[in-house]
Parts: sequence; structure tokens; C-alpha cells
Amino acid sequence: MAGKSGRSINNVPESAFKRTVLSWEGILVILLVVVNIFCGFFSEYYNLNSVLRQMPVYLAEVFLMIPMAYILILGEIDISVGAIVCLSATMSCIVGNTGAPFIVVVITALLVGTACGLVNGFILTRFQELPPMIVTLATQIIFRGIAEIVLGSGGSISATNTDGFRMIAGKVGNVPYILFLVIVLIVIFAVILGKSTFGRRVYAIGTNRLTAYYSGVHVQKIRLIIYTMMGTFSGLCALFLISTSYGANTTTGNGYEMDAIAMAVFGGILSTGGKGNLAGGAISAFIIVCLRVGLGQRNVHAQVILLILGLLLIGAVALPNIVGQVKRAVKK
Amino acid sequence: MEKKSFIKKLTGSREALLAVILIILFVVITIISPSFLSPRSIMDMLKNNAVTMILALGMLCVMLVGGIDISIMSTLALSGMAIGMLLKYEYISNTFLVFVIAIAIGAVCGFLVGVVISRADVPPIIATMGFMYVFRAMGFIVSKGGEWAGAAALGTFKNFATTKILGLSCVIWLIIICYAFFFVFMKWTRTGRKIYAVGSNASAAEVSGINVKNIKLMVYMIMGVLAGLGGAIQVSVYASAMPDMQQGGEMDVIAACVIGGVSMSGGRGTVVGALLGSLILATIAKALPLVGIDALAQNTIKGVLILAVVVVNVVLQRIADRNALKGREM
Amino acid sequence: MSEYVLELKGITKIFPGVKALNNVHFQLKPGEVHALMGENGAGKSTFIKVITGVHKAEEGEMFLNGERVDFRGPKDAQAAGIAAVYQHPTSYPHLTVAENIFMGHEIIKHKMIQWKAMNVEANKLLAQLDADFDATAEMGNLSVAQQQMVEIAKALSTNARIVILDEPTAALTRSESEKLYKIVDKLKEEGVSVIFISHRFEDMYRLASRVTVFRDSQYIGTYDVNGITNADLIKAMVGREISDLFPKPVVEIGEEMLKIENFSRLGYFKNVSFNVHAGEIVGLTGLVGAGRTEVVESVCGITQKDSGKLYLEGQEVHIKQPSDAMEKGIILLPEDRQKEGLIMSWGLGRNVTLPTISQYAKKGINDEKKERDLAKQLLEEVDTKAVDIFQPASSLSGGNQQKVVVAKALSQEMKVVIMDEPTKGVDVGAKAEIYAIMGELAKKGYAIILISSEMPEILGMADRIIVMCGGRKTGELSREEATQERILELAMEKGSAGKEAAK
Repeated sequence: MAGKSGRSINNVPESAFKRTVLSWEGILVILLVVVNIFCGFFSEYYNLNSVLRQMPVYLAEVFLMIPMAYILILGEIDISVGAIVCLSATMSCIVGNTGAPFIVVVITALLVGTACGLVNGFILTRFQELPPMIVTLATQIIFRGIAEIVLGSGGSISATNTDGFRMIAGKVGNVPYILFLVIVLIVIFAVILGKSTFGRRVYAIGTNRLTAYYSGVHVQKIRLIIYTMMGTFSGLCALFLISTSYGANTTTGNGYEMDAIAMAVFGGILSTGGKGNLAGGAISAFIIVCLRVGLGQRNVHAQVILLILGLLLIGAVALPNIVGQVKRAVKK
Repeated sequence: MEKKSFIKKLTGSREALLAVILIILFVVITIISPSFLSPRSIMDMLKNNAVTMILALGMLCVMLVGGIDISIMSTLALSGMAIGMLLKYEYISNTFLVFVIAIAIGAVCGFLVGVVISRADVPPIIATMGFMYVFRAMGFIVSKGGEWAGAAALGTFKNFATTKILGLSCVIWLIIICYAFFFVFMKWTRTGRKIYAVGSNASAAEVSGINVKNIKLMVYMIMGVLAGLGGAIQVSVYASAMPDMQQGGEMDVIAACVIGGVSMSGGRGTVVGALLGSLILATIAKALPLVGIDALAQNTIKGVLILAVVVVNVVLQRIADRNALKGREM
Repeated sequence: MSEYVLELKGITKIFPGVKALNNVHFQLKPGEVHALMGENGAGKSTFIKVITGVHKAEEGEMFLNGERVDFRGPKDAQAAGIAAVYQHPTSYPHLTVAENIFMGHEIIKHKMIQWKAMNVEANKLLAQLDADFDATAEMGNLSVAQQQMVEIAKALSTNARIVILDEPTAALTRSESEKLYKIVDKLKEEGVSVIFISHRFEDMYRLASRVTVFRDSQYIGTYDVNGITNADLIKAMVGREISDLFPKPVVEIGEEMLKIENFSRLGYFKNVSFNVHAGEIVGLTGLVGAGRTEVVESVCGITQKDSGKLYLEGQEVHIKQPSDAMEKGIILLPEDRQKEGLIMSWGLGRNVTLPTISQYAKKGINDEKKERDLAKQLLEEVDTKAVDIFQPASSLSGGNQQKVVVAKALSQEMKVVIMDEPTKGVDVGAKAEIYAIMGELAKKGYAIILISSEMPEILGMADRIIVMCGGRKTGELSREEATQERILELAMEKGSAGKEAAK
């Protein structure tokens, strides 16, 4: 073409190894090792067997981290997930208690979750002007409110038909099913996010929504899919939650949205959108799970663990910003 | 330029519309349940909603600059728990001193939140989500792992809520003072207007020499101070302090502001709007049992209300935009 | 007192990677209206920001009334009596007009803002400017012209002695411009010195006594308006004869490719019809806000038109969203490269392949190797000055960014190419290259719609020129009939012709 100068533009990427080692994920892996060593010293009961035995309760939340990562990469937020878990758990307990076969219970959990996610997605795509924060805040109150109405004055329900839940709480050897499921789902969704056309478009929307739209990306369709997916995963989380607690109450899932966001953000996913990957999210999720198991074994109170989580969350976002500011200041 | 007609002013202003809705609510509820409009019932309502009403002022400031703070009820619990324990173990007994301490704790919390948001550029929702954990846990630690400070432990402090001056409870006086102060502060002082300026167009504010970072820090500190004050009020009204008090209550505060017309994206909102928003919310909460709706449904209705308000806002805005386009000469 | 109210000597301003101003001089006499001219990106805006203390120059001195000054921030400049009215009003849309005027220097008594006094004062200022709105109106509800008036009132309220107007007439109709001229005359009478940035020669002749020209961040010269011809001025601004800049190839015009018939969208445009043939470059011009961008955006499915028909190669097509237009080969190169055209933090390669990733993907998984090869090939084809395809788009200059946008378009099957202000913020050298690319595309037989506000560009490149004003097509000129005057006339014509068509 015109004015060709014959300039050659390099298109060979640097080695994948170099990129991985010098990244936030690399640091997280080291941190995971450090946390495990720390827990080993902190609690005499901390070993592979005890971790495998005690982790399912915490692993249920990791399900939520997966779609939350997608939502954060879109540059948005969903704070209604805890309430969706609550509603979904409540409905599946009710259905289960009627003596329905377990598959019906599973479908109920997933359907209720999906429906809630669809409601969020529908409102947010139909009224694009609305900030996700305020919409999911409102639906959070509504979803939990519906659970409150359904649960009645007692405010709780026990699962009486526990066979199915006992089954999904099972193990292969020492390894609980849920761990397999979490890992499989993380791998699948990490590949979708990192390698697929869909994933690339998610990043495009999160980095510059207008350019993505002008480039033919179906922005609203993708948003709808992801919010709905968030609901489905919340249903999954509810199912495994019942399998560890055999019941639901009005506080089920309280604060889970925070945990999911904390895991994702600590894993290097930018809350303003466009950056991060599920590998980071997964490692940070396991750091948090290990920390909870270890601290829990020595009866460190849940509140203290939350304090640590809160500081981690703030620190993970604040530190890079501060480092960046210092760097810029030094440059000047 | 002709003066706008009274009716036009009424329909044109958000506050007037809210006031009309509030009056209609009052009338309808009084017809169904006449006891609602007794002075005692109204005073009770105000007293029970004092915390939400006062914190709505702080949330107004925060939302005006385009932020949000969901850590407020943890700050409230921390400051309330701290004074509860101080009273319980008789380190202090002076009511005035109790307030000073509660407010000071709130101010420190607000300062921390403000610094993280304005200096380290952490998005408000993430930062306050983190501090929500942190302050709540600190409140729990202060309570020595879940102790309560019951009525007996609070000594003379709990009398604050029951004492009346000129026929009004001290708590109600506090609400009045806070609203009067903020009404003047937000409308007639430079600092107040700077908050609006930053929220309306931060880069223009920067160019005209306003220190945007400091204004942001300030609004979170205001929020913290009010949350600290709210801690003292909460403890005195309910005559007890426990580490999990007002959990989830921040949603009510945000709801009050949203209903009162405070924009989530900043720049728009008034003290009167916040007042009317929180009054409408309080009235509905109070009225539901009176009109025979189960108290269990309260939250659902609140949520639907918030959603309806924001959706209606968008729809109205779209209609207004469309009308503006129609009026464009071509 | 010195001969000049404001004098700048040897100003150099460096932004990371570029010299935005290089040893620039400027002198302003008291009570004078001084035009500042130059192409987009010549450094005018940066220069203004140096005067108003927004940017700090690396080198150079500034004298106010003969005394050396050193502004540390916009506040210092304001205090020294310098006020600027920017191109995009820097106002507070949620606040009232009075508050916008007095922001930063409110009328205070007992530490309380005196609203009544402020409204009265503001209304006085507005009356001086013949404003047709009240001080209590909300800023966000005003038109651009009205907002500009508020900005001028703001400048007056600070008793500014030097007022800087940055492209004030760009978005105004003829009658609104007239009003602005009167305001400037009034300022002049009161002894205020005015610096006036504009692209319109008309503004300059009507108002200014002297004109200073910048080009490529450098000072070219200061001339008396009476003593300089249009051609000389253009040469000073562009640095070469226009004919060199526009290598318009002779292309045989083919079949009709795209036909737009009676396009209307409420509040934006009405009954717009035109067509474009294979190999033809159709220029679409008009003032800012005339509805040009809005029309092509509705063609491409970015926004929805209310009525009208679209024909591609004689067949009616229905386009509901951007992807529909792309599938059919109607490709838009959007006006705002940074917000709509590119993802600035992404590598060049990924930007280029964004619209077409699914074409190379296997079962939904991206074929990155193929993507990289394609990106390299396309970026080299448009001769992008880049080191590798992984460097972020933000690291390139405006002109090279535009080339990446072109490469991105080339990755798709094209029939009709719509370029919206392709040379905005591009330096002269890169401009010529973009024109060359445009010529090549026409040669290859694509139909091209070129939207531009720059008169030389439209005159130089287009085979046919469509002029829009106030949402309507006001005229169509062939290359031979088109002159700057004819186009301006059509572009500023508001009312008569348009209104009749509405009936």
C-alpha cells in the first residue's frame, strides 16, 4: 500500500515462562506455600487430611468466585449473590422436604439461582443507565426478603430428606467430590475466559465498552449471559452449602458476595474491569480456604478471620496503586 | 423571565413530589389505622429511625461525590460497642464524654476509609466492603468476643434517649440539630458547595482550584463522624450494645437517599430529599403491620421500592430526554 | 506600563514523548483581539493551558504588564485577571447558572453564601450579554451556546483583563455567532484583551486585528489581519501548498453501493438522503452538531433511526446492531479513536483483530498464531510506526493510532468505508499518509464516506460533497462547484430551506 517503508513489526510474543514467573500469579503461588507453612506451625492439626476434610464448607464459596471474576472483569459488580444463595438454598430444602427425588432438588436449586441472575441481567440490560451496584443492592434485599417470607416466622428450615445431599458430600478416597467439581469448573471457565472468543470479548467490554460495541461485540447479550451465569453458580453453591449444614435460614449466604469479590480481587482481578484472570482468582481462593481451615482449627473466631480478609481485600487493591504512585513520584 | 406557576414548581421539583407522597401515605395510613397519627406514635417512629435518618445525611455527602459507603454500620457497631464496654466496666459515666468518644472513634474510622479511597484510589465499594469486615470484627474484639452491654451496664447513659426537653426526646432534638446544621452547611457554605462541585464535574473542580482529594476525604470523615454519633444513639435508644447491631442497616440508609432523589453518579441530591426519603422509608416500615401486611414482607417491599424508584427515574429521564429532542429545532 | 499586557517568550512544553510547544512566542496588546490559528494539534490548546496555569512550561518566560509571572496553578492565573472559555464548557451541569458563574469566588457574608445577591449579580452579567435565560436555570439544561455565554459571564465576573476564547463558534449557528461577535466587541470596548482561537477565517476577519499562527508545535509568525491573504495564511498554517497534501487519485466511479433514503431520527436528523458509488469519496460536512456523525452511526446500527431505508448494492438491508453492518461490509472508523475506535491499553494486534476474532477461532477457542500473523500483515500494510504488535495503542501518536483503526477495518470484508474525522488530532505528515491510504481504498473500488469539519480536507479529497445543517441535508456539491464559501453558506444556513423541507 501507499508510502510503504518496508518497516517490519515484530509479532513474536515473549516466552510464556517469563510472563508467568514475573506476575501477580507467581507471587500468589509463593504466598500459598507460605500460608500453608504458617498454618502448619500455627495448628498442630493442620495436614493434608484435615484440610481435605474441612475444606468443603469453604469451597462452596469458591463457586461464586468464578462468575464474579467475569463480572468484575466486565467492570461491574453483583452484590446480590449471597441473597441468591439464601433463596436458592431455602427453595431446595423445601422441595427436598416434600420427598421429591434429589435430581428435582438439584434442578430447583439451579433454576432458582438462574432465575434470580436472569432478573438482575434483565434489569441491567434493559435499563443500561442503572449502575449494577444499586440494582443488585435492591435485588439483594428482595431475594433475601422473599426467602424471609418463605421461611416464615421461624426463619429457618432443616433438610429432612438428606440422602441426596449426603451423596454429593461424598469423597473419592480422602478427596471430596466438591474439590473435583471446583477444579473442573475453574479450568473450564479459565479456558473460556483466557482462550476463547467469548472471553476476549468480555475483556474488551471491561476495558472499553464503547469500542467493544462499535467493534460489533454484543455487549448486552454478554452481560445478560454473565449475570445469569452468576445466578446459576449461586444455586450450585447453595446445593453444596446444604450438603454441609443440612438446612437454610435467613442468614444463609450472608456476606458471600464480599468473600467472592475478595477472592477475585486478591487474585489480581481489577475491580474497575479489564484485567486479571481466573488462575489468580483460583490461587487466591485456595489461599483463603487454607487460611480459614488453619485458623479455624485453633478456634480463631470467624470475625477475626473476616478482619484478615477485609485487610487483604483493601491491601490487594491499595498496594499496587500506592506502588504506582510512588514510582511516578520518583520518576518526576 | 416569568415566574413559574406554583403547580409547575411542585411537579418540577423532586422534593415537592416526595412531600406529596409522604402526605398521601400519612393520610391513607391514618384512615386505616387512626392511632398512627398520634404524637406518641410519630415520636416513636422518629426515635426508632434516628440512626437511619442521621446517617442518611452522611450518605448524602458521600453519594454526592459519586461514592458509596457500606462500612457505616460496622463503624456504628464499633463505636457503640466501645462506649458500651467503657460504660460497662465503669471507665466513664459522663454522657457528654460518651458522645465525644463515640464521635472520635467514628471520625478515625471515616478518616481511614477516606484515605484509602482518596489517596490509594481504591474504588469506594471495594474499600468500604473491606472496612465493613474490619470494623465489624474490631467491634467484636472490643466486646471481648461477643459480650453484650445490657441496660443495667449502661448506667445513666441510657437515660439520654428517655429524657425530654420541651416535650421532645433528646434523640429527636439531635435529629433536628443535625438536619438544621446540614441544611445550612450544604446550601450556604463554600465547603458544602464544593462537595456539589466535585460531584458534578470533578475535573472542572480540579481546574478551578478545588482540592478534590481532600473533599473526598472530608465526606468520608463526615460519614464516619455521623456513624460514630449513630453508635451512641443506637446504644442509648435500645439500651444495649452488641457487636452485631444494625448489621445490614446500611441498605436502609442508601435506600433512604435513593428514594430521596440522591443520584448514584454524584452531583444531585439535597438535605430535604434525604429527610423525605428516610421519612418515607420509616413511615412505610411502621405502616406495614398497621395495614395488615406481615412484617416478614417488609424487606421485600423495601427492595421493590428502591428498584421501582431507580427504574422510574430512568424512565422519566428517558421521557424528559425525548421531549427535549422533540423541542429541538430542525 | 509595558506595550503588551501579555508576553510569552521561548515557551517549550514537553509531554512524555512529544514536544507539544517548541520555543513559542506571543504578544498581546491591551484592548486587542488577537486570533490564534493553526491546524489541529498545532499546539494552540496546550499554549492556552500554559497561559492559564493548567500546564507548566519546561522553558520560557511569561510577562504580565511587563512583569515576570510564574503561575503555579489555574488559581494564580485567575487572580491575575486571566480567564479562559474552553471549547467544551467546563461547567457543573447539576448546579445553577449563578453558581457556575461564581464558583470559587462566591459572594460571602458572615461565612454564608448570599444566594439572592449572587442571582442578582449573575442576572446583571447575563443581561449585559443579552442572555435569554435566568441565573437560576440549571446549567445542564442549557444549550451549548447558552453554556458558553455562562462561561463568558464567568470570565466577566472575575473582572478578567485578558479573556481567552477557545473555538467559541465551533458549535454555534450563524445568528448565535453574530451574538458572540457583539459580545467580543463589547469586551474590546471595555479595554479587555481577547485571545481568540478559531478555524474559521470569517471569525478572524470579523474580530481580530492581528493573528498568530502555530504549526507543528512551533511559532510561525504574527501578521496584521489586514495585510495577509487567505492563501498566505493557509500556507503558513499547513506549511505547503494544498495540492501537495491531497494526492487524490483519479478513479473511475462505479455502481451505486450504498443508498440512504429519508433517514430520520427524532432530535438528531430528518429526511437525510444521499448515496455513494464504488470508488467514490463522498464528503459529509457541516458544523459540529449538524448531525453528520449521528446519520452514519444509524447507518452502522450504533443507534437506531426512527424511519428511512437503506440500500446496499440495490438491495434493501436492515441493520439493527453494529455487527449487522459489519457482516454486510459497512465499516465505520469512528470519530473518537480513543473512546470508540481503539482499546488504548490493549496491544495493537488484539485491537486489529477484535471485530473478526470469531472468524479465525476454532470451536470458540482463539487461534492466536493466526491472529498475530494477520495483525502483523495489516499493520505493515498501512505502514504503522510501531515496534511490535504487543505494544499498547496508547503508546502511538494520533496518526499511527488512526492507522491501527484503518488496519482494524481492513481485517474485515469491506464494501463501504465510513471515516469520521480521520485526521482529527493528527500531525501534518501523518495526515498526508492517511489521505494516501484513503486514495488507495478508493482505487480498490470501495465506496468511501468521509466526514470532516476541515474545509481543505473535504475540498481536497471528496468527489462529491454533502453539506448538513441542523440535522438536515442542505446541499450537495460536485467537486467542481465546491468552494469554501459555498460550503460555509450551506453549513450555516439554518431555517428557511430546512423548514420548508419539513412540511
